[in-house]
Amino acid sequence: MSNQRQASSASQVPHLSPAELSYLYTSLSLPKNPIRPDGRSPTQFRPLSAETTILPGTNGSARIGFADGTQAIVGVKAEVEKTVLAADTLDSRSLAQHGDALNREGEQGSAAVSGQGEWVQMSIEIPGFRDDDALPVFLSEMMRESLVGSVAGGNGDAVKEMAGGLKGRLVINKRWHWRLYIDVLLLSQPLAYPLPLLSLTTHLALLSTKLPKLKSTGEEDPFFDDDWAAAEYLYPRSNISKSLSAAPSYPVRPPVTLLVISVGDNVIFDPNREEIAVADAVLAISVTRSGDSETLKLLSIRSIDPPSRLTQPGIPNSENVNMLGATAAPGEETGGQEEVEGVWRPRRGGVKRSVIARMVKTVLGKGGVGEEVLEGLEGVEVQ
Amino acid sequence: MADRRRINGPPGGTRPPVFASLQESSTGIANRAQRQRQPAELRKIFLKTGLIPTASGSSYLEFEPSVSLAAARSNPKSLIPPSSALKLACTVHGPKPLPRSAAFSPNLVLTTHVKYAPFAARKRKGHIRDASERDLGVHLETALRGAIIAERWPKSGLDITITIIEAEDDRWWGDAPDSHDASWGMMNVLAGCITAASAAIADAHIDCLDLVSGGVAALVSDDSNQSASSAPRLMLDIDPAEHRSILSACVVAYMPARDEITELWLKGDSSRAALEKDDGRTGHEALIDGAVDAARGANTVLAEAVRESIARSFA
Repeated sequence: MSNQRQASSASQVPHLSPAELSYLYTSLSLPKNPIRPDGRSPTQFRPLSAETTILPGTNGSARIGFADGTQAIVGVKAEVEKTVLAADTLDSRSLAQHGDALNREGEQGSAAVSGQGEWVQMSIEIPGFRDDDALPVFLSEMMRESLVGSVAGGNGDAVKEMAGGLKGRLVINKRWHWRLYIDVLLLSQPLAYPLPLLSLTTHLALLSTKLPKLKSTGEEDPFFDDDWAAAEYLYPRSNISKSLSAAPSYPVRPPVTLLVISVGDNVIFDPNREEIAVADAVLAISVTRSGDSETLKLLSIRSIDPPSRLTQPGIPNSENVNMLGATAAPGEETGGQEEVEGVWRPRRGGVKRSVIARMVKTVLGKGGVGEEVLEGLEGVEVQ
Repeated sequence: MADRRRINGPPGGTRPPVFASLQESSTGIANRAQRQRQPAELRKIFLKTGLIPTASGSSYLEFEPSVSLAAARSNPKSLIPPSSALKLACTVHGPKPLPRSAAFSPNLVLTTHVKYAPFAARKRKGHIRDASERDLGVHLETALRGAIIAERWPKSGLDITITIIEAEDDRWWGDAPDSHDASWGMMNVLAGCITAASAAIADAHIDCLDLVSGGVAALVSDDSNQSASSAPRLMLDIDPAEHRSILSACVVAYMPARDEITELWLKGDSSRAALEKDDGRTGHEALIDGAVDAARGANTVLAEAVRESIARSFA
């Protein structure tokens, strides 16, 4: 337990011997075609099973299970709340309340009200961690920041509805707004760094989230249609094109956060526990599809502390006291700072800018991993 | 049954009445803080080590107040300061032996605490660390762990505590949070934390690969006439109170001698950056390069502060 506390940002201290780490690193850093322990290609994700709308008491929910047994459930709940303006805010909104005709006119022209990031709340529960431990806090801040940060560009009716991003969608009128609670529950011990699992589950849960249809108009107190079948999706969908397949298309989708590691010259996606243990650099990259265009948009990048820094370095035979008789020239090697082939030594220092650029490019590029993931998620049927 | 014997106040909060005519005069464009620096010009940094004698290493960092803040201090027109300037203190305790109950660790165990003083921001912060402070702590830990040579201190711990005495604003105080609003001030705070912690670690004589310093760059669209046509521009070391809307920002922890980044935090939409025509970089690459440039600037101050610290310890 204390080991988990120490490794705050990376999930756990890996329990691998230096020899195992060295073997893993060597096979993952093979030029051009790394060999992963489970035989995947560098950009391949672990197989997963997903379902949505599983919790009747929520506005939207999803469950994803990886083949290794880790499962996550996300429930999204929405509440209507009165908008409180900060007392010192002096903008067109407070001016308009005084009934000044001029100001009201100007205020109608601009985007009426924009939402606030605080309206989206996220909590992550991971077994073995307290809810104020660094890992759950870091993960939830990371996913929340890309969620509220995504502002849609482009045009089209549905896109216009999402003009201010998720924050703008939560506005009901000037005095009322929705508050969104996203509660993430990891059902199993985190075998790997749980970020991809939690992000994909949150994505599906938000896609299935419905809000009751608003019957009141304008600045009235909100009043909703009590027919749940008439409820509207939080992320609007347009059913215009596909005639044979019932799959709806989403002009705007929630962001997806991908976990990318670099080992040697290779860039590897969705690492499992053993792979992340030998990573040189770990990045969490959030992307979304921007508006109606086909390109992906970068929302945030965060570097994550690679757990390899916590591992124990291996000792080469030349320095090992037990091997004194076996080696040819004992005591000649000094310092022990230089790399010895086949002996594990955690990488020191940071990551070069060119490596970061390459990792981001692999995600964002045309036909890159980001598109592949979003397409895969589109294949999941959301009721 | 409601209490009818007392006259209760309204259940929600109330706002003092503010008249529109007053607002015109008191919060016009003139009072809004404006950036007077060039896009690539950094604020001056005051950095001093060894101010806290009980700690094994310590440092104090202060950013230069903006021109409008300096003017408001010398000639106050309003009770509300137009912007704020970062001030923080950093202490380093250790390396010290881990407690007996702790598990064996072959490396130095780093613990970082970032805490805002209750009076640091315009809105009071509680005494218990909230999510954003813990988040900053994790970022700082990532930045420093890449620089410290941790295997030279097995079974030892190092505590780094940062108290933020004055924080940066997230936006101009009179602005309502809008669609591009996020906690931009936190990124400046993190950059300051990294630079100050690096100085304090050097002051505690702990082996590092290089002095790691923090830098911030942002894409800012500053059009006062609200026309969305002008593309956002890249600025280094922003003061969020001086800008209307910040589209994206990036903070890095950078080691100049190795040209390596130990911590990267970028958020916001960087796709619409206005770059030179022959500039082949994408928006986020330009943003990271800008932040690295800012970090290089901070590193000169850091190196000077560490030199002072060394001179003092041999005097």
